[in-house]
Amino acid sequence: MFGRMRFYLALWLALLAMWASRILGRGSGSALPGKLALAIDPAILKRLARGVKRIIVVTGTNGKTTTNNMLVSILRAGGYTVVANLAGANLITGVTTAFLAAAGWRGCLQADYASLEVDEASLPGVLEFLSPRLVVVTNFFRDQLDRYGELDKTVAIVAEALQKQKQEIHLILNADDPLVAQLSIRTGRPAMFYGLTNVAVNSCSYSGADSREGRFCPFCGQVLSYSYYNYSQLGSYSCLQCGFSRPEPDVEGVQVCRARGCLSCQVTVKQGRSVMLSLPLEGIYNIYNALAACSAGLYLGLPAQVMANALAHYQTATGRLERFTYHDKQVLLNLVKNPAGFNAALQLIANVEPVPLDILIAINDNAADGRDISWLWDVDFEMLSQFAGKTGKFVCTGQRGAEMALRLKYAGMAAEQIVYIPDYEQAVKTVLQAQGRGVYMLATYTALWPVERVVNSYARRERAGSARLSPVS
Amino acid sequence: MRDGKELVLHVCHLYPDLLNLYGDRGNVLAFIKRCQWRNINVCLHRVELGQSVDFKQFDFLFIGGGSDREQHILAQDLAKKVSSLAAALEEGLVTLAICGGYQLLGKYYQTAQGEKIPGLGIMDIYTVAGEERLIGNVLLECLVDGVPGQLVGFENHAGRTFLGEGVQPLGRVSEGYGNNGQDGYEGAVWRNVYCSYLHGPLLPKNYKLTDHLISLALARRGVNLELTPLDNSLEEAAVQVMVQRLLKK
Repeated sequence: MFGRMRFYLALWLALLAMWASRILGRGSGSALPGKLALAIDPAILKRLARGVKRIIVVTGTNGKTTTNNMLVSILRAGGYTVVANLAGANLITGVTTAFLAAAGWRGCLQADYASLEVDEASLPGVLEFLSPRLVVVTNFFRDQLDRYGELDKTVAIVAEALQKQKQEIHLILNADDPLVAQLSIRTGRPAMFYGLTNVAVNSCSYSGADSREGRFCPFCGQVLSYSYYNYSQLGSYSCLQCGFSRPEPDVEGVQVCRARGCLSCQVTVKQGRSVMLSLPLEGIYNIYNALAACSAGLYLGLPAQVMANALAHYQTATGRLERFTYHDKQVLLNLVKNPAGFNAALQLIANVEPVPLDILIAINDNAADGRDISWLWDVDFEMLSQFAGKTGKFVCTGQRGAEMALRLKYAGMAAEQIVYIPDYEQAVKTVLQAQGRGVYMLATYTALWPVERVVNSYARRERAGSARLSPVS
Repeated sequence: MRDGKELVLHVCHLYPDLLNLYGDRGNVLAFIKRCQWRNINVCLHRVELGQSVDFKQFDFLFIGGGSDREQHILAQDLAKKVSSLAAALEEGLVTLAICGGYQLLGKYYQTAQGEKIPGLGIMDIYTVAGEERLIGNVLLECLVDGVPGQLVGFENHAGRTFLGEGVQPLGRVSEGYGNNGQDGYEGAVWRNVYCSYLHGPLLPKNYKLTDHLISLALARRGVNLELTPLDNSLEEAAVQVMVQRLLKK
């Protein structure tokens, strides 16, 4: 009886907080309600999760939000009801908020699936409350070292959490990332692997040599031998000493091609089936995200064509290459949070039309961004010299905009190209009104919202359907 | 700067693939760029596992930090290089060692389990693992080339380092933990070897230290060159953002 009262008290106060933060327009309010509810009733998440038939968790460094959003679109297209933390609040508080929102005032939750993006370091805690049967791991890159210490530790946290669970867990793993692929052997869990054949993107393809993580065999320490890299340490590798190598993918992307702001590839499944996938997105990393989502979908028995249709109309989440229009200019907004993701975002400049692009980079160092911004020096801004003529002004803003400007200076950019404007409003206005024919904005997590707010007040947001008509080639 | 043009400074980045945490390559980049902007030619040598080298040929050596696994991988290789390295440092090779690289130059690293992992023993320092990692922004008061100044950066280390006789601290922390979170000191200086827990990285923002290291490297070559002044407004801005924030606390 007392437990029940506590449950409703927690639920109602949390929903009240959620409602208040929406009314007040304080961000998406996605962590606070969960935090409040857990403080009042620590068992609330476990209790709410009982109403969900099957729980899926997506973790890894990059692509969690996009992969999870894609998977949710796929599941919903398949006619299932899904609880999800779509806005990317991926700590235990954010996960709890997703369940609270789905439960509503009556506190009764019935859903086929919960598909949850979970931060790597929060995985052990989340697995304790929830018992997922399917865990998707996207990749491991260097990210927010001030929070996790070192990458090896992050991988160890994930591996240990997966190993310790009593219930059966099936893994969906990226075959092309040795740090991820090793998890099947290391945890003894059965896995389905997805991978991508050699993309050899274009003449401007960048290898990301200075921020590769998995150069050494996770089992014996020998330098891994690669036959190709797709980006960072993702590619086809093998260890000549102990024999660890890229597992044969169960789901493989082949024949990647990009045209008019779309990516497409043929997806072949081990048993010989094959489906054409078309995404209204840029960036090779999004093919990986789609392959991860499709693998999970296939494992859950969804028809390939249903998945392909859902992804063809995929709508990006905030800051995942959102498109706006300012007068005649196309404006792209993208989240950056670590060297691998930043390199991929910069590489995109090679393919965006029309040029030149004026570029805004907003860097904050709040806890959610990573308080240590030294990773900026691992990003390959030196590649920008290849895009001379395609770039105009670089406007740097945010709490650490000055350091960002400095990074560009040491990357060899001309002093006249670099502008440091601490104020978001001024910075966004300056980049929108610069001389170029397009605008590209890159922001860390907590800088994304203030930048987006200013962009929204000047520029018009593009919807998914129209994305394909835009002049990105 | 006629003399500068004929000169080539040889920069060594030791194990750039293994010791590369926290944007370490930014330190090498800053040293090289600030030479090049003054028409001093630079040649970068990336020394990897299995390469035999004579460290005396270099003018500037950078040693960064790595994860435990990576430091374990290179331990054997480093044993083969230690006599050449020790001789060069003794003789005055200008060096910057950060985090793991800093600890490595000392006598030993004592793990949380009490095991003493021997270091290279080149400097009279030792490190003891602590329970909590010391993490955060740092503001440091120090003398650079005899002139009082400030350094800013970010620290993230579990090891507590203590200095022996003959090794001077780099500076005194006014914000942050420093070497061990106890005595208020940060970093170490011995001969021309500069060590610090500040990554972040150290040299691009703290350009006075960078220029001092360049001057030392030139002096070791017998070149007494007044460094051409550069526009440091972005460097100053990046430092001031952090100084203002830390002083406000």
